[in-house]
Amino acid sequence: SPFRRTLVRVLLMQVVALALLWLLQQRYT
Amino acid sequence: MHWINWIIVAVYLVVVIGDGLRRTRGTKNIEGYFLASRSLPWWAVGLSVMATQLSAVTLIGTTGQGATDGLRFVQFYFGLPIAMVILGVTLVPFLHGAKVYTAYEYLERRFDPKTRSLTSLLFLLSRGMSCGTIIAAPAVVLSAIFGWDLVWCVVLIGAPTVLYTVLGGVEAVTWADVKQMAIITFALAAIIVVLIARLPVPLDDALALAGSTGRLKVFDFSFSTTETYTFWSGIIGGTFLMLSYFGTDQSQVQRYLSARSVDEARTSLLMSAYWKIPLQALILLTGVLVFLFYTFTPAPLLYNPRHDAQLREKDPAAYAELSARYTAALAARDQAAREASATAGGARSNGAAAGRSVFAEQNARVDAVRKEALDAAAKATGEGSRDVNYIIPRLVLDHLPLGFAGLFLAAVLAAAMSSIAAELNSLATASTVDFYKRWVKADATDAEYLRAGRIATLLWGIFACGVAVKAATLGSLIEVVNRFGSFFYGSILGVFLLAMMPRATALGAFVGLLAGMGTVAAVSFGAPQVSFLWHNVIGAVTVVVVGLGLSVMAPARSVAG
Repeated sequence: SPFRRTLVRVLLMQVVALALLWLLQQRYT
Repeated sequence: MHWINWIIVAVYLVVVIGDGLRRTRGTKNIEGYFLASRSLPWWAVGLSVMATQLSAVTLIGTTGQGATDGLRFVQFYFGLPIAMVILGVTLVPFLHGAKVYTAYEYLERRFDPKTRSLTSLLFLLSRGMSCGTIIAAPAVVLSAIFGWDLVWCVVLIGAPTVLYTVLGGVEAVTWADVKQMAIITFALAAIIVVLIARLPVPLDDALALAGSTGRLKVFDFSFSTTETYTFWSGIIGGTFLMLSYFGTDQSQVQRYLSARSVDEARTSLLMSAYWKIPLQALILLTGVLVFLFYTFTPAPLLYNPRHDAQLREKDPAAYAELSARYTAALAARDQAAREASATAGGARSNGAAAGRSVFAEQNARVDAVRKEALDAAAKATGEGSRDVNYIIPRLVLDHLPLGFAGLFLAAVLAAAMSSIAAELNSLATASTVDFYKRWVKADATDAEYLRAGRIATLLWGIFACGVAVKAATLGSLIEVVNRFGSFFYGSILGVFLLAMMPRATALGAFVGLLAGMGTVAAVSFGAPQVSFLWHNVIGAVTVVVVGLGLSVMAPARSVAG
């Protein structure tokens, strides 16, 4: 269903965002 | 301000108000005025949800927080996507499917009139007051930065907002939110581009310097109930707070009740969930770039010009001594930054480790002198400084190219007005539907309710502006309002959780609500060191436990479904 597809995309985006923040922290701190 | 800046602000105001006036035609009846006849597309509602949450406090306060404290605050939003997903599969289908005007109206169907009236009254009290504080925060900053009269600043923010909200209803509010969100994003992006272009060293080196001061530390995995922003308080406390805000606060519930369908309503929330953490990280990162800008450009001792002038006047000798030490500390920090960046391999290399720690040391010295100045200013003026709110406005006015002051002022107005308009609109809805229609006049015509809705919007607007003027002169009022709101926020969420449990009874819900508020008040006064993010968890859990326990012990004779 379109709603579930949106749901999966939202969760994937959060994983990507947190991973990028983690990499930023590791690289510069 | 240069006349070009004034033209930018004027164009913004004309576009937003003009659009609101055009949409007055869609408000022939109460359903059109309060719910846009449930016709709005998901992307407009999603932008409206984001614009309502993002107030001027976020735009000026959070960027300032990024400059002084770094990225840690982004953890506060980690629970938001989780809350949105939970709401999308639970409460949103319930509320949108029930065809109600307010979330509290649903509670009467499920429980009884007194639970509906109490929750709606608590919403009106807390949101009506906090609407005043979100006008006050930008008004105080504009007043100090531009030297304008405070009441005039409150009117500049409040009057246009009340005008288009009274006339155009929820449709004007939503479409104005879409434009306001675009202005805010554009202004932020433009400021980021200029700040990066102005760095005298490569961005990689600059970020390594910011990292050496701990400003790029995002994650704090410690288990502490007194530290406000940790990974766990964000994931657990943040989820409960966002469940309360997006699930039970009419100022947000009304956004998605105006969506075309249940699917579009929950997609609008997911859109906000998708963008929220990246957007907040970007706002905080803007603050970090401001810190880096002032590393290579002399920073003001105090960013609040009014406090700066008062301290200089009250104790000129101390001010001169502080200024001299501050200037020397800034110069030493600037030199340390340039030396670390000039190391072969850049400031991030192993060879620059010593240079980075010299920079961090010099930065601590700058902070120490500034802390002395803030304490002296607090003593001289007799009020807390909130200096952090003045960092980005000062940067924009003092250092950015022509036109940026107008663009930034338009963005601050957009952030403030989008939040205020949604809140006034929802306050008017709750007072008209939950009180006037329910208790005063149940059989009025549609035109009468529409007029009542317009009058209620106007009265709440005047009330909020009055609170704003009061809050601006009495800074502690803002704290009181925030604390007052957190007393029952989680407890109302508990009532909605009970509403979705078939066994829960009306008596259980009402007694549970009172028990939840009492428990949070006891924790708040008895253990004040517990961070407010945990209050919502305590309130919601207490209501569910007490409510469910009572419902099982004294079940209703006929189970209402």
